[in-house]
Amino acid sequence: MEAIDGRAPFIMIADGRGSLFVPSGLKDAPLPTHYEPVESPVRNPFYAQQDNPVAKKWEREGNPYHEVGDPRFPHVLTTYRLTEHHAGATPTRSVPHTAELQPEGFAEIPPELADQLGIETLDWVVLATARGEIETKALVTERLRPLEIDGRRIYQVGMPWHFGWIGYATGDIANVLTSVVGDPNTSMHENKALTCSLRAGRLPRPRRSAA
Amino acid sequence: MTAVHPRALEYVDSELDGVIPDESELTAGTRIEPGKSYGFFTDTTLCIGCKACEVACKEWNALPADDMRLTGMSYDNTGGLGANTWRHVAFIEQISRNGERATEMTPFQSNWLMMSDVCKHCGNAPCLEACPTGAIFRTEFDTVVVQQDICNGCGYCVPACPFSVVEVSLIDGKAHKCTLCYDRMKGGLEPACAKACPTDSIQFGELSDLQERAERRVDQLHGQGAASAYLYGAPGGPGATGGLERLHAFFLLTDEPEVYNLPEAPSRPANRVAPSLASGLATIAGLGLAAAALLAFAGRDER
Repeated sequence: MEAIDGRAPFIMIADGRGSLFVPSGLKDAPLPTHYEPVESPVRNPFYAQQDNPVAKKWEREGNPYHEVGDPRFPHVLTTYRLTEHHAGATPTRSVPHTAELQPEGFAEIPPELADQLGIETLDWVVLATARGEIETKALVTERLRPLEIDGRRIYQVGMPWHFGWIGYATGDIANVLTSVVGDPNTSMHENKALTCSLRAGRLPRPRRSAA
Repeated sequence: MTAVHPRALEYVDSELDGVIPDESELTAGTRIEPGKSYGFFTDTTLCIGCKACEVACKEWNALPADDMRLTGMSYDNTGGLGANTWRHVAFIEQISRNGERATEMTPFQSNWLMMSDVCKHCGNAPCLEACPTGAIFRTEFDTVVVQQDICNGCGYCVPACPFSVVEVSLIDGKAHKCTLCYDRMKGGLEPACAKACPTDSIQFGELSDLQERAERRVDQLHGQGAASAYLYGAPGGPGATGGLERLHAFFLLTDEPEVYNLPEAPSRPANRVAPSLASGLATIAGLGLAAAALLAFAGRDER
């Protein structure tokens, strides 16, 4: 097989080119619209269709979804990577020179929400969804702006997802919280927009047996 | 006959002697020659906070990772410069304006100020002046380097530094700090941090070139409406006060020096030797006079 021209970088497509419009195969699109994420604190203010009708859902045990505006999970949760870590951070958490740059997991919390819950930077906090709960350290920051939607103030909580308990840089794992919802075309999971609850404190952990 | 790896025979025509000679000409646009002054110009408006400089520095200089914990100071988990950390990227969050929660993005990293700090290689280096053993010396590239094989670990250089750069290592008991990659410069290579910087926030070069370049950049930023841009450590400017003359590692900042944890008006401790000596002598003279007066008084009483 001949190599695809370097100017055609879409290696998963036969002609190597991306398209704005395709003749067939798309399960969603081509025209853009606004759907709320499957988990959202608000009704879709744009029109009646709340979320994507063709999103891939796996409704089964261990993967429950939150109802729209579920009062148990009032905050928006978003997950992301840090510049200091590569991919799932398996390579960079195991190398001292990169691990020390972001050495522990944390959740970023806006100052208004932190005040309400009595949380200060470096305090332990518990994040919970219907899927599970984790504990991590708080980083209070104004970089997370509160959202004013429909007369309500809604807070976002952010969390880097690429921690774990192997290597020098460690922390609880954000994927315990996330749901499995797939984009109709790519099946990419909707892990940038979820809802969650937040409280100060730690999780009860089984005591380690004396070595 | 010396043992030669078979792959080496494939390059018999190569004129390269191991490394590219004067590589700095290719990577930094400057040839490194003894007798000239070199330094860093760190333009904080270009810093994206990737910390590549920190990693490149530690890799090249074989410095250990240390103090591995979350500091809580934004994304800065390095904390500051020290014996094992010769580049430090500060992250300063200035999102609120006059106590109001900002709702729109402001220029320059949405006011998340990032700055890669380093040893300033002062024109009149107080650490060098304080060193009693001669371990700290000025190199042929007009930079300041500590020789650990001569250092006796007295630590006089530590409080002498107006920028809190040099530190005595707990590992070997000797003073350590940035060498401006003295070993790389000897081989014609630009320092590791400047080479690794992806946005040219850290620029290495001949000091006079850098100062011209920095002034042009300040003019450009002023022209774009960023009136707060200024140079810290350029001759005659803030940071180059108190007899320091100039900083060989100087910075373009957009807020007060203290915001970046830099002193507003650093000075040489040597400036304070004469006044303190004079006041010490005056105290001794005064006490002597008082003692003489008391003795005279006591002597009169006994009579």
